[in-house]
Amino acid sequence: MPELDRRDFLKLVGVGAGGAAAAGCSDHVEKLIPYVVQPEVITPGMPVFYASTCRECPAACGLHVRTREGRPIKLEGNPDHPVNRGALCGRGQASIGRTYHPDRFRKPQRRGAAGALEDVSWKEATAALAAKIAERPGGTWVLGGATGPSLSDLIDRFVGAVGAGGRLVYEPLSHDALREASRAVFGAAGLPIFDLSGADYVVDLGADCFETWLSPIEHQRQVLEARDLASAEGRAARMVYVGPRLSMTAGNADEWLPAKAGSEGLVALALANVALARRQAAGQPVGGDAGLLAALLAPYTPEKVAEPTGVDAAALRRVGEQLALAKRPVALPPGPGLASSRAVAASAAALILDAVLGAVGRSVGLPPETPATPEPANLAALEALVAAMNAGRVSVLLIHDSNPVYSLPPQLGFRDALAKVGLVVAFASGPDETTELAGLVLPDHTPLESWGDASSRPGVRGVVQPTIRPLFDTQAFGDVLLDTARAMGDAVGAKLPQGSFRGVVEASWGGSFDAVLARGGSFAPAPLRGGAVQAGAAKLAFRVPELVGEGEHALYAPPSPLLYDGRGAALPWLQETPDPVTKISWQSWLELSHASAEALGVEAGDVVAIETPAGRAEAIAFPRGGIRDDVVALAVGQGHSVGLYASHQNDGRPGEARGASAIALLPSVRDEAGGRAWLVSKARITRTGGHARLALMQKSDNKRGRQLGDAVALAALEGDAHASGHAGPHEVRRPFAAAADATDGSAYRWGMTIDVDKCTGCSACTIACSIENNIPTVGEEQVVRSRLMSWLRIERWIGDGTQELRAGRPPYDDHEQLGRIDVRNSPMLCQQCGAAPCEPVCPVLATYHAPEGLNGMIYNRCIGTRYCSNNCPYKVRRFNWFDYAIHNWPDPMPLMLNPDVTVRCQGVMEKCTFCVQRIDLARQTAKNEGRPIADGEVTPACAQTCPSHAIVFGNLRDEGSAAVRTAEAGGVRAYHALHTLNTRPSISYLARVIRDPSSRIDEDGGHAEAGHHANAMTPSQEGTA
Amino acid sequence: MTPPPPEAVAAMIRPAPRRPDSRINRDILSVMEGASLGYWVLLASAVLMVHVAGAIWIYQVYEGLGIAGYVHPVFWGVYIVTFVFWVGIAHAGTLISAILYLFRAKWRNAINRSAEAMTVFAVLTAAQFLGIHVGRIWKSYFILPYPNQRALWVNFKSPLLWDTFAISTYATISAVFLYIGMIPDLAIARDRAVGWRKVLYGALALGWQGTSRHWKAHTRSVLHLSGLATPLVLSVHSVVSWDFAMALVPGWHTTIFGPYFVAGAIFSGFAMVLTMMIPVRRIFGLEEYITDYHLENMSRFLLLTSIIVGYAYASEYFMAWYSGVEAEQTSFWMRAFGPYWISTWIMILCNAVFPQILWFKRVRTHVPTLFVLSVLVNVGMWFERYVIIITGLSREYNPSTWGIYTPSWYELGILAGSFAFFSMFFLVFLKLFPVIAIAEMKELAIHEKAHRQGGAH
Repeated sequence: MPELDRRDFLKLVGVGAGGAAAAGCSDHVEKLIPYVVQPEVITPGMPVFYASTCRECPAACGLHVRTREGRPIKLEGNPDHPVNRGALCGRGQASIGRTYHPDRFRKPQRRGAAGALEDVSWKEATAALAAKIAERPGGTWVLGGATGPSLSDLIDRFVGAVGAGGRLVYEPLSHDALREASRAVFGAAGLPIFDLSGADYVVDLGADCFETWLSPIEHQRQVLEARDLASAEGRAARMVYVGPRLSMTAGNADEWLPAKAGSEGLVALALANVALARRQAAGQPVGGDAGLLAALLAPYTPEKVAEPTGVDAAALRRVGEQLALAKRPVALPPGPGLASSRAVAASAAALILDAVLGAVGRSVGLPPETPATPEPANLAALEALVAAMNAGRVSVLLIHDSNPVYSLPPQLGFRDALAKVGLVVAFASGPDETTELAGLVLPDHTPLESWGDASSRPGVRGVVQPTIRPLFDTQAFGDVLLDTARAMGDAVGAKLPQGSFRGVVEASWGGSFDAVLARGGSFAPAPLRGGAVQAGAAKLAFRVPELVGEGEHALYAPPSPLLYDGRGAALPWLQETPDPVTKISWQSWLELSHASAEALGVEAGDVVAIETPAGRAEAIAFPRGGIRDDVVALAVGQGHSVGLYASHQNDGRPGEARGASAIALLPSVRDEAGGRAWLVSKARITRTGGHARLALMQKSDNKRGRQLGDAVALAALEGDAHASGHAGPHEVRRPFAAAADATDGSAYRWGMTIDVDKCTGCSACTIACSIENNIPTVGEEQVVRSRLMSWLRIERWIGDGTQELRAGRPPYDDHEQLGRIDVRNSPMLCQQCGAAPCEPVCPVLATYHAPEGLNGMIYNRCIGTRYCSNNCPYKVRRFNWFDYAIHNWPDPMPLMLNPDVTVRCQGVMEKCTFCVQRIDLARQTAKNEGRPIADGEVTPACAQTCPSHAIVFGNLRDEGSAAVRTAEAGGVRAYHALHTLNTRPSISYLARVIRDPSSRIDEDGGHAEAGHHANAMTPSQEGTA
Repeated sequence: MTPPPPEAVAAMIRPAPRRPDSRINRDILSVMEGASLGYWVLLASAVLMVHVAGAIWIYQVYEGLGIAGYVHPVFWGVYIVTFVFWVGIAHAGTLISAILYLFRAKWRNAINRSAEAMTVFAVLTAAQFLGIHVGRIWKSYFILPYPNQRALWVNFKSPLLWDTFAISTYATISAVFLYIGMIPDLAIARDRAVGWRKVLYGALALGWQGTSRHWKAHTRSVLHLSGLATPLVLSVHSVVSWDFAMALVPGWHTTIFGPYFVAGAIFSGFAMVLTMMIPVRRIFGLEEYITDYHLENMSRFLLLTSIIVGYAYASEYFMAWYSGVEAEQTSFWMRAFGPYWISTWIMILCNAVFPQILWFKRVRTHVPTLFVLSVLVNVGMWFERYVIIITGLSREYNPSTWGIYTPSWYELGILAGSFAFFSMFFLVFLKLFPVIAIAEMKELAIHEKAHRQGGAH
């Protein structure tokens, strides 16, 4: 180039370099160099844990937040916390995604003239808010979800300081009826505390205490510990479920009384009637004036109650007598989904039963006299607020930690009333139905970025501490309140604490804050308060509720075990994890009985319309045996029209609601005391003629007698070999020593023992695994093709299954039966076989046998022939059909990736590694200290989070390891999945124990005799066509 | 296969006296001359379809295999089905060229060139599917045991690796076989050609002069190559069958797969030769060379292999029942009555039932019926692989993961593209190379002459 001389060249280079340098100026400078001044606590490559508290639901479990180089990457339970003792549910596990959610508001925003949100600065926003409040302080209201005591106090002080109209705590699942029932029965309003430790007889009257009710992790742990088979008491423990539908919790019970929806209170009274007589005869104490109780319970004999409840009188009498004889019986009142217009009486009946059983003060504690935070508003109070809004008496409405536009019944008119409010301020961190209508969006920090606290019972208060610098230009709600008050003038500001909200939190803990932060809070649970049934209880009217509307079915809207009241819908992991009962994800389905489905002429996948007086919605029909004929069930949680994952936005259909919202179908009905009722309406179900492909991950609950999710009768544990459930007397179900399948010199052979009897199916492990191992979610369309990437799934089997063969393409194969349980939840993950069928078929040795017995998977070597998956009988391998690592981790989600785990690219196979990164971390520590890895030092994510300790991981070459001891202790229960294939799995399963032989579903679909063989079929009896 | 009766041989070669060398040359080489509009339309459609399939494949590499219809747990689909199908097609060529050569079945001479060409093209087509099927085509060279500094090696236990060797060996041998056999004919073509063709054939004919020394070398090479290729006929498809038989999938894990697949391959190969040659001989007027007698012999082979295949089907069901293995029984029940019952019955009807009409000589000599039947057998053999692979995978040991696979349009596009790919080569071959072995036809004519002069042969 003759035109370009040296000087011009240098000029051009200079311009180019300057441009590049200018382009590099942005807010965040990423440094790929080692720390020059290394922060004291951070060692690159080593995790740092911070104690905090989960804010996903009011149970407020303790957290250990694992951070790497300043980023939280995984949540684990705080072992010190008395509520969760180290475990965490799926919702808690997934809540880490709130911080990295692509939907999050980046800046405060104000709704402009055109109706669209425009960025504003915090200063402007606070000034505008302060000015608006100052216009009419009395017209200012605060509406929001349950918060910790510090924030709650601050809100109250703010309300006082600015002279605001008031404040309502709003939780959709507020247990209004139970709070009121406690007042009616014991004279103490509020939520009683249920401590199921050692409870040997639990009657769950539709509480669904393992799912969303009060403190699900705690209840799971307590019930399953009480049922521990090692002790005679544990073997004698029973759980009875009363409710219209075989829920996840019901699947773990021993007996199911499928009472009519809403009649649980009557069942409780009948049980109390029988138990009272029995206990009085035996001279045992009853929790209240015996005469009062006798008079109250006299009309509710099992015989009289049998008709309205639909439960056999003999069963009621039997359960009542067993309750009376039990050492620590407890009854759990109906959960929110079953709260009817008679819910206070129904809950009161359960509490009366508890009193009769002497459980009050032992397993049931009365609510604290002075609650740490205000009681949530009931429906009547919310109606009053809406009336005030409609009357123009509300000029500013501050909405925090809740999404009332979605979660309030539409008949309440909250949505329309919002239009009459001068300024609606939303403090959500991401968009939802409420922020769509807000005039000012002041994005809150997520809990992982916040200071705060939480207390679910007296004496237990967890601290919330930030574990990452706020990712975006957000502010804590508490700080916004402080700033707003200050912006309103010194006079107002002076009434509130000086400094930041962090100071408020710190000041609320006396003593050393550092110690609090290290431990995660102060944990000294107050003893349970006892009390006696008061005379006022007799005034309650115990009746089966009248339902509004027309139709043959009662519409039952239970909270979703994963999406809770709908707040989980924004998190892709919760959307994608198959429902613990139906195994459907991403969609809304209507559960109805087979008889109802036949009458309607629908089968699984057909779209049906649901009409109630409150509205109409469409959902996918899902017939099942585990639901009463007179009930249809539509879980709460779906039906959002805003949000990347909550709505269909991610599928390219923004604004389209994902599934149907059960809340929108429920008329706004109060219970006796003004609380919110959910079981209120009948529904008319009609066919629409439409059909949808179900995002159903398990299309059959029939294990066909194969060695998956086995069960043995209780008698087998007590030495009755005939009842052991073996397919034949000589069958050996653990025919080899799995410990042998590692290199000779290796000190370790990693393995697991999984107790199917303890697995409740809650799926926390599945989500923990996904977060730990950077497993992407793939979306509804991909799940329809069963392309879920999850390395761990919970298989749900009903009974031993049958070898019936169904021709054609049945959409779903269901063997549930009304009134029988026999559910086996069996976690299925890579069995790390000793003779792994996947290994020899890989042409490039991408999967191979590692020296410590693991089936290694080298992603970089994999060329994607997928032969290994074909040859895996357990079907635990997953393939990257697309570049999920790029497409399914929108910004800023990649920040939450675990740096210890490779992100897989398109075209490679992946599977469970037993969290090999955790093994390696422990190995490094042990090596530094010159010792072998100790038992319990390595815990994979699934085992770590399991609320019921169903998964035990360890070294099979260590005879003393917990995994080996648990398997040995399992005795006849121990088996290997599909052991006839001789794959030599490193995982031993312990069979489910059938405690009540009458609940067993055998291959003929009828009752099996006690001691009947679990795998009675010998395959050769069945011919092929 | 009994050797044809002398009368039949006589009938077959009867026209020979009326076909002096030059006429044989002219008749056969005339196929290569000019091209009708129909030919160009066919070729253009094939090339277009190959491009469409290529575009789909590029899209698939870019986007991911997810565009195919795979569902968990059916991780092999139409691509592997079609791979096995084309490997099967490739079998007739070597059988005809090598085994029938060794058995001195002279009637093969009329069809061996086209069958060999078909073999090469079918193997080429099949090989495409190995690349189309894998998740990371850009890393597929990992499957070759090449020395490297990373000390990475391949897994010689894996049937897929055996496949790689089997296919590449087979492709090499069959290409060499085709080429060596064609050298004398290329020389004839060279002598008659002008322009670029003369240069091409000149180079390919390797200076063939037709001297007795040349002929001696040629005959010996063909003989030795036949000896080498004969075991391949049995081994290649046995190896392909081990892809399945070595796995523990119910319906795959059976010892019958080797002979079953080889018989099936020959069955489909002969059907494909019929499907290709019936129109060719009609269009190019080669009825004198590819006579009804040839067609009848091939249909006898069809009948024989159909019976073997039918026996294998029955045997599989019997063994499933007799084994007492519930998973196996369920898998086979599902084949016949489960979600894929249509595919299964297509397979049974097309492969085991319809060919039974070949017991009748009138059918064996009725060309249109033979053509329809050969197409049906091709369809049936494609579905046989579909049934084995898809139903096997869809109903495995763990009923919680049973799933139903339906091919996507992308896969069907690539399937169609594979036929276009094969046809494209064959159409080009028709115009570039003699479709019937001229030299061997002449040899037959000489034999015939000697025979009539009372000489022994």
